[in-house]
Amino acid sequence: MRIEEELAIIELEADSKEQVLQLLGSRLIDQGYVKEGFIESILKREVAYPTGLPTEPFGVAIPHTDGDMVHRSTVAFASLKKPVQFLMMGTDDKLVDVQLIFMLALKSPDDQLEMLQKLMGLIQDPEMVSKLVRIESVGALNELVAGKV
Amino acid sequence: MKKLLIMCGTGIATSTVVKGKVEQWLKDNNLSQEVKIYQSKVSDEIGRIDEYDVVLSTTLVPNNIKDKVIDGVPLLTGIGVDAMYEKVRAEIKRE
Repeated sequence: MRIEEELAIIELEADSKEQVLQLLGSRLIDQGYVKEGFIESILKREVAYPTGLPTEPFGVAIPHTDGDMVHRSTVAFASLKKPVQFLMMGTDDKLVDVQLIFMLALKSPDDQLEMLQKLMGLIQDPEMVSKLVRIESVGALNELVAGKV
Repeated sequence: MKKLLIMCGTGIATSTVVKGKVEQWLKDNNLSQEVKIYQSKVSDEIGRIDEYDVVLSTTLVPNNIKDKVIDGVPLLTGIGVDAMYEKVRAEIKRE
């Protein structure tokens, strides 16, 4: 599994999670992976079911929404220059400083199961999280996750 | 056979990851034969949560069912996993 060039934003400067979600969502819409209403759906979901994870040394967010908003399953990626705050998954009041975002476009439960599990394995490794925050190109990103995502 | 429900907001993303890990844990602990796993989204389950013996969730649940639900987020972050599995084991073993 590779993250496509068009679906990765490296060292993004963003002021809010909404800005990041809109930018990544637009990439997915432009490339035809998801439906027009995907961004709105993602933003709503993030309020009801937050996706910030308190991983070390930086938080990671895995925004996603219902499968019926998705044409083809894939993953979009953003690394941020400065963290933005996401609500922590499983809470409605705890904030996490997030510097890595993997936006999941998933059509069905069994889709990309292996990819999802590998991705979760990656972000549980603090060294990998540090490296991902520092990567400078999509090529380097894919080299880093090669065999792992 | 105990019924173990794993739920998240959409029923397709994080609950899938949690399910994979719990299945492996059950196998490693020789509990696979005692437990049947169900996967779903929170909004579909709130009204029938008492049908399950053990409930893991990666999303916030309403206060009235909070006591019944074990937080599954440790399986996503890798932090607090052992304590979480102890709770699951206690619920599986509960008479």
